Amino acid sequence: MKLRITNHRSTLLIAVFALAGGLFLQACGGGEKAVAPEAAMEAAPGNGVPVKAAFIYVSPVGDAGWTLAHDKARLVVDELPYVETAYTEAVPEGAEAERTLNQYVRDGYNLIFTTSFGYMDPTINVAATSPDVTFMHCSGFKTAPNVGTYFGRMYQPRYLTGMIAAKMSKSNVLGYVAAHPIPEVIRGLNAFALGAQSVNPKIKVHVVWTQTWYDPAKEREAAESLLDVGADVIAQHQDTPAPQQAAEKRGRYSIGYNSDMSSFAPAAHLTAPIWHWEVVYNKVVEQVHTGTWTSSQYWGGLADGVVGLSPYSDLVPQDVRDLVEAKKAAIVSGAWDVFTGPINNQAGELWVPEGEVMSDGDMLGMTKLVEGVVGTIPK
Amino acid sequence: MRLELRLERSRKLEYLVPVVSVLLSLVVCAVLLLSTGANPLAAYSAMLKEAFGTSYGITEVLVKATPLILCGLGVMLAFKMLFWNIGAEGQLHMGAWGATAVVMTGWDGSPWLMIPAMMLGGFAAGALWALIPAYLKVKLNTNEIITTLLLNYVAILWVAHFIYGPWKDPVSFGFPMTMQFPEGAQLLRLAGTRVHLGFVFALVIAVALYFIQEKSRWGFEIAVTGGNPNAAEYAGMNAGRNILLVMLISGGLAGLAGMVEVSGIQLKLLKDISPHAAPYGYTAIIIAWLARRNPWGVVLVSILMGGLYVGGETVQITMKLPVNIVLIIQALILFFVLGGDILSRYRLVFDRPGQRPKKAALSGG
Amino acid sequence: MTDDKIAVALRGITKRFPGVIANDSVDLELREGEIHTLLGENGAGKSTLMNVLTGIYRPDAGSISVFGRTVQLKTPKDAIDLGIGMVHQSFKLVPTHTVTENIVLGLGRGFSRVKLDEAQARVATLSKQYGVKVDPNALVWQLSIGEQQRVEILKILFRGAKILLLDEPTAVLTPQESEELFHTLRSMREQGHSIVFISHKLDEVMTISDRITVLRGGKNVGTVLVQDTNPQDLSHLMVGREIKFATFPKKESRGEQVLEVEGVDALNTRGLPALKGVTFSVAAGEILGLAGVAGNGQQELAQVITGLQRPTAGTVRVQGADMRGKRARHFIDAGVSYVPADRHGVATVGDMSLSHNSVLRRYREPKFGKGPLLNFNAAIGYARRLIKEFNISTPGHATPVRSLSGGNLQKVILAREMTTRHHLLVVMSATRGLDVGATEFVRKTLNDHRHQGGSIVLISEDLEELLSLSDRIAVIFHGEIMGIVDAETARIESLGLMMAGQRLSEVA
Repeated sequence: MKLRITNHRSTLLIAVFALAGGLFLQACGGGEKAVAPEAAMEAAPGNGVPVKAAFIYVSPVGDAGWTLAHDKARLVVDELPYVETAYTEAVPEGAEAERTLNQYVRDGYNLIFTTSFGYMDPTINVAATSPDVTFMHCSGFKTAPNVGTYFGRMYQPRYLTGMIAAKMSKSNVLGYVAAHPIPEVIRGLNAFALGAQSVNPKIKVHVVWTQTWYDPAKEREAAESLLDVGADVIAQHQDTPAPQQAAEKRGRYSIGYNSDMSSFAPAAHLTAPIWHWEVVYNKVVEQVHTGTWTSSQYWGGLADGVVGLSPYSDLVPQDVRDLVEAKKAAIVSGAWDVFTGPINNQAGELWVPEGEVMSDGDMLGMTKLVEGVVGTIPK
Repeated sequence: MRLELRLERSRKLEYLVPVVSVLLSLVVCAVLLLSTGANPLAAYSAMLKEAFGTSYGITEVLVKATPLILCGLGVMLAFKMLFWNIGAEGQLHMGAWGATAVVMTGWDGSPWLMIPAMMLGGFAAGALWALIPAYLKVKLNTNEIITTLLLNYVAILWVAHFIYGPWKDPVSFGFPMTMQFPEGAQLLRLAGTRVHLGFVFALVIAVALYFIQEKSRWGFEIAVTGGNPNAAEYAGMNAGRNILLVMLISGGLAGLAGMVEVSGIQLKLLKDISPHAAPYGYTAIIIAWLARRNPWGVVLVSILMGGLYVGGETVQITMKLPVNIVLIIQALILFFVLGGDILSRYRLVFDRPGQRPKKAALSGG
Repeated sequence: MTDDKIAVALRGITKRFPGVIANDSVDLELREGEIHTLLGENGAGKSTLMNVLTGIYRPDAGSISVFGRTVQLKTPKDAIDLGIGMVHQSFKLVPTHTVTENIVLGLGRGFSRVKLDEAQARVATLSKQYGVKVDPNALVWQLSIGEQQRVEILKILFRGAKILLLDEPTAVLTPQESEELFHTLRSMREQGHSIVFISHKLDEVMTISDRITVLRGGKNVGTVLVQDTNPQDLSHLMVGREIKFATFPKKESRGEQVLEVEGVDALNTRGLPALKGVTFSVAAGEILGLAGVAGNGQQELAQVITGLQRPTAGTVRVQGADMRGKRARHFIDAGVSYVPADRHGVATVGDMSLSHNSVLRRYREPKFGKGPLLNFNAAIGYARRLIKEFNISTPGHATPVRSLSGGNLQKVILAREMTTRHHLLVVMSATRGLDVGATEFVRKTLNDHRHQGGSIVLISEDLEELLSLSDRIAVIFHGEIMGIVDAETARIESLGLMMAGQRLSEVA
């Protein structure tokens, strides 16, 4: 895993060195902000502000999951003529991150994406002392005049993958390897279960919490324990393909996450709910470039294209694809959304009454499981 | 190939070995850097400059060094007595928890009262956590390496339980963290920097430990027990009591590190109070070793270690180096210093191939 | 010169250690079928020379030839291949394995059941051939020290050794066991083996040797035939001066009882009874000797009367005060000094300086500090005084005691324990392993102490020492006191019988 990072990185390093041996010297010359943007200005076409965008990643870009999805999008915006990007990987969450953010500010970056929830407070703190820099924090809820948030309605494609999983299951048991019991993960799990039940009311979704985003060994173990209780499709809210590989090893099916994971488990991988962060990044970079950016909380879904499904495997029959595509069209059109009543909670009590649609606020603070999920939220 | 005990160890060697080891590890890392296409000299000078060449860098180094010094001093004291406390990480977590518990009572008073109460809470929680393996050692002669290590995981899960459960900030949408501490529960910071009072505490404690170790009867007891436990018993020293006392202080200091980290830097209790890549409690073991169990050494090595992190982090940005380079350098330093230490005690002897080494080689004349 | 009958010839062997020449151009010839004693004070270079011959050290100069062939000994394996084997003072046996298993261990062949049976048969043969009595099937931990030593000897014979080196083999044996060992050695000699025997005990040396080589200061100061010499000449050669073995004058008047031990029971480290109803007392100005074969409860008794171990029954009174429930530090405070048998393992901290070690049991005294603080300058001053008074040869007070010779280390321990204002001195194996000069110094110091009114419990396996120093001698066997006799009138024979388990009433 680590070797892949280095390989991936070496080309980039060579490019950086070939380009700007001198830039480095300026950069560590003591954080004089003005120098670098001026240099970039000359190259920028049109009359906008050149954008120096930094990305803070929680894991190595070689994780094949969450961070890779962000980095793919970064490379897309990096193509824009007025954009220059940089990133730092494996930045610890919590106050430790402040140092990295400050360093980018000192190095003259004017747009910083912080791509994990744990960067919320550091982002707010550093933003308070850096009013000229725009910050975009992924998955949080705190904002400031120069801090916006962005996230995607991943629950929508997860609902669709739940439909596929239920259609492919013979045991009526699905497995879900979940990271932390926080609203984002609970929401995705519930959506998956609802999607599965929509095509097969008998389906049960067993969940195992790993309490980690990124730990191949733990994720594999969790998947194996689910396979042991009879799950024949494994879905995941984790950042490595380990659960995919565990499913393939046992000859079962799997649903990936973050980005297309089919290359890791070609015989198991059915599809994956994936991120298209470039949708957000393109927009934000352009707004900063043209000076039209204002603080807001962005939460786009299938309609915006910020989330979607990776290509179906050949294993998914045409009638299932048709069924899913029809549901997807309904969501995209705005005619229907996932958390529309009637929905029962895990105890079988009515949670969302018939005809009602859960508010965004309730979805963002979701802490309960729906009926048909086997497992509890750890306290 | 085998090792033969050196009959004499020179004092010069004692201090030369770590220095040479660090230099060697930098040479090996240079090869590594070259293989990724980077210029090692530029990378090292950038690291040095980022960490110690700017006032911002220096303050950040001190921020990083603060919990390392406190944990390192605690570990050093235990090691001095040959009690292998591998549990500073867990004691740090318990200390952070103990300090937070004071805040979670809902009390919002003057910092003159709150901060001492939190320090006491952090110290006590870390100390109690360390007393468990100490007590088991004294009563049942359990292996403290195992008990202290395993209790780390319990402590980390204990903290997780509270931030996922009872202490979860009600307005955090279910995210695992406490609310931000009120101002009275935040350690004073040096204006415009993140350097907080905890650094002063760390220095004061280093001085105190120096006096305990070098000038006190109790320090003599610790040294004798570490040098020859049988002789300590023979001299009428109470080994059990000393193990408990040493671990009380050792765990208490790691607990204090947890307290200053939540009260001075994080300002709330959350999952990642100690960095994953190089957790404070484990790094402290390396520090205590490199410092030759000397309090000044702990301060010095902690600051160098802090510099390695800060320099490494920022050089990642300015030179776009992989984060793992820093981890590799850190690992290589330990590897070389441990190796160097072994070579300063033993000398390497090469035998003809096919011969089996004999244990007798270690018996002196 | 012909090498026909020469098993080993060492020529001009020189070995230097930092700051010391351990062997200075030593020549030594070992003939086939002889018992050749290597005699010398501690630090004379005996062990170094043997380590050269067993391939542990490589000499800086000189040559070695074995059976006429010049050889290079680079590892102990080389020596074994040439038929040279050594019995060290500390045995290298696995306690939970049988005798045979220990013997074949490390031979490099896997020991399957069949081979083990073969090996066992060979061990039995060897043991009969050389008169080495040991059960090949016994587990080593069940064996006495003497029997373990026989296993070590068999181990060497099993490997086909023709040349045997024995480093102070009798130091750990009872007189009876020593006799048996000599019997074995003679039988080996008759079968053509060559033996190097290291010892301090001149009477033994005179009994067993064919020739004797004396080392002094790393040099060979003479090789003599046993019939051409006597103990006085040998000791003269060893130390370069005359040593007189004298019986020390006893003190006429004794004071009041300093130590009273009554009905004491205690367990050993394995939880088995080690002391049973031990009762005795020691008065001021008296040396009470405790005789017995090692392992009969001496260690436990020493620990009980110094507070390091609690008795399971009975009372210990020091100066009339009941010490029940008291810890070692209370005994120290009550004026009990202790010189343990294990100088490196118990009595000192090897890596610490002489001055630190000189306050090891005294660091709580007011003269070495105030309140919680320790005054190291006072310790240094004190250490300087001890170095002078006891004539300790050391580079200085800051020298780690690990680098001191055995005799000097014992002086440090004695000095520390005796300069304390104490009432009772417990001394165990005070002169074991010390050279003649150091032994004499220790004995004289103990005697002087008695004459100044001190009381001493002298625990020793050396009957000669006990007889020459003690006022009374108690004999311990299986944790019980067999009897207490007056040293003046005691006969060695009856002491020997008591050491073997007969009560005073039965022998008197």
